[in-house]
Amino acid sequence: MKSLFLRLPGSGRVALTVVVGLWIVAAFSPAASRAASEIRLENRLLAPSSGHLFGTDDLGRDLFARVVVATPISLAIGLTAAAVSLLVGFAVGAISGYLGGVTDLLLSRLVEVVLCFPVLFLLLALAAFLPPSPTALVLVIGLTTWPGDARYARAEILKARSLDYTRAARVAGASTARILLRHLLPNVLAPLLVSAAFGVAWAILAEAALSFLGVGLPPPATSWGGILSAAPAYIEEAWWMALFPGLALFLTVSAYNLLAEGLRRASTERGGYR
Amino acid sequence: MIRYVARRLALAVPTLAGIIVLVFLLLHLAPGSPVSAFGAESGRRVSARAAAEMRRLYGLDRPLPERFVRWMGRVVRFDLGESFVDRRPVAVRIREALPYTLLLNGLALLLTLALAIPLGVEAGGHPESAFDRISGAVLFALYSTPSFWAALLLQTLFSVKLRWLPLYGVSSDAEPSGLAGLADRVTHLALPVVCLTYGSLAFYARLVRAGVAEARSADYVLAARARGLSKRQALWKHAFRNALLPLITLLGLVLPGLLSGSVIIERIFAWPGLGRLYFDSILSRDYPVVLALSLVGAVATLVVTLAADIAYAVADPRVRDGTAS
Repeated sequence: MKSLFLRLPGSGRVALTVVVGLWIVAAFSPAASRAASEIRLENRLLAPSSGHLFGTDDLGRDLFARVVVATPISLAIGLTAAAVSLLVGFAVGAISGYLGGVTDLLLSRLVEVVLCFPVLFLLLALAAFLPPSPTALVLVIGLTTWPGDARYARAEILKARSLDYTRAARVAGASTARILLRHLLPNVLAPLLVSAAFGVAWAILAEAALSFLGVGLPPPATSWGGILSAAPAYIEEAWWMALFPGLALFLTVSAYNLLAEGLRRASTERGGYR
Repeated sequence: MIRYVARRLALAVPTLAGIIVLVFLLLHLAPGSPVSAFGAESGRRVSARAAAEMRRLYGLDRPLPERFVRWMGRVVRFDLGESFVDRRPVAVRIREALPYTLLLNGLALLLTLALAIPLGVEAGGHPESAFDRISGAVLFALYSTPSFWAALLLQTLFSVKLRWLPLYGVSSDAEPSGLAGLADRVTHLALPVVCLTYGSLAFYARLVRAGVAEARSADYVLAARARGLSKRQALWKHAFRNALLPLITLLGLVLPGLLSGSVIIERIFAWPGLGRLYFDSILSRDYPVVLALSLVGAVATLVVTLAADIAYAVADPRVRDGTAS
């Protein structure tokens, strides 16, 4: 496992550094919370300057502070939602791939059903109709995106299932649960990690899209998508309101994607994005 | 072949049933249902009249089995109900929005394939070349760019700063006629089409690249080269054709992706298509429209996926004989 990170290509190492840097920013973000919430109407829509690096928003709040304060929220929701998706997806995919037969047939139909719906349709309906809370948002994102992970896990387990070590374990009398957890899981850990990194990027984007559309976390909670949702109204006069929060989002998403791609290459896998 | 098609169709039946059940479950997030008591606390409630109407329409005060039978009855009769907002049949509202979405997404899909295929073949034909590395990096950046951010930046640059393109809408208020009218339409289409294209472009170009890169060293490509075909011919006629096959099955899943993208892009560019209709219906709690669009979107995806799988089997005998995994 350690060697996987050591084998990361250069781009993957840069991405890992950026990800770690973002989490450090998140850890120190409370320092900016006062500046981020201070409303000063005489300062509204100021262009970027040395006093306000990213300019100010429509209520005169410092945009740099707002972007910093939003960092832990976007990162945490992305990480937990991806974890939910991965947990459900890998459980369904592993059971489906390992047991095969009728179980596989039924679980595969379930995956197919969810995949048929436009993701944003489901996300919007659930996010708008359920009471708004961070937990609900995490569950909504995680529970709409797991089918991708399930398909991936099923394929990986199918590959590992027919290998000699699995067959040896079965002959030795190991139970299904033991084979799945002790023999197959460690061997699909690398693809799981790749899937997790792509998943975080995806979940951060999903949260941003929902908040941008106004059905994410309600104010005063601040996420990058939420800050961006104010930008269209001021597009004629304040380009910085669109540029900087989106830049933070882009940086984060590409860092996680690049890390995932690097991990995939380090574990000598081939293929495109998931 | 017939056996394969029959098997594939039989497998689609439980999926279709699952779709209908899932939309039925979505219905239970609506007012008048047990879940809505939950919703009332959050301040997201609807008028008593709408709630009463929901109960009447979907029998929400009835026991679960009866509700399900009632729902199935409406689905099999293609009875999508009336919109709460303007009292017109849901089917009519969908039919009005459909052409706008088809135009936008059709153009985006054509542009995606027109760019992704040559890019992918060129990059995959020469792995690790300068072209492959640069196009790979650019596509990767595009893949990580949120579409709503790109839309805002493009609007700022082309509509606000340069004033070349309109900010949003389908056409100008004073709609010019003839050639000027066409130009007007095209300028309104430009930004939304670009925003819908670039993300899927990155995805498909990568897939084509991976397929071609793998096929280029296959025996049949080497044999083609040995027979005296030029490198270009070997790539396009042999490597690409074989790399194209797996792409067919993925085309089925293009539809939900495009509809998702439409929700965001149609909202930013005030484009009166299905995505906009869905989003507006969510905000105004127009449940009949929300349920109908979810159902129609999912069933359409199922049909396209099915057609793609069958097309794949026609193209590749190994699939229908079950010799390929």
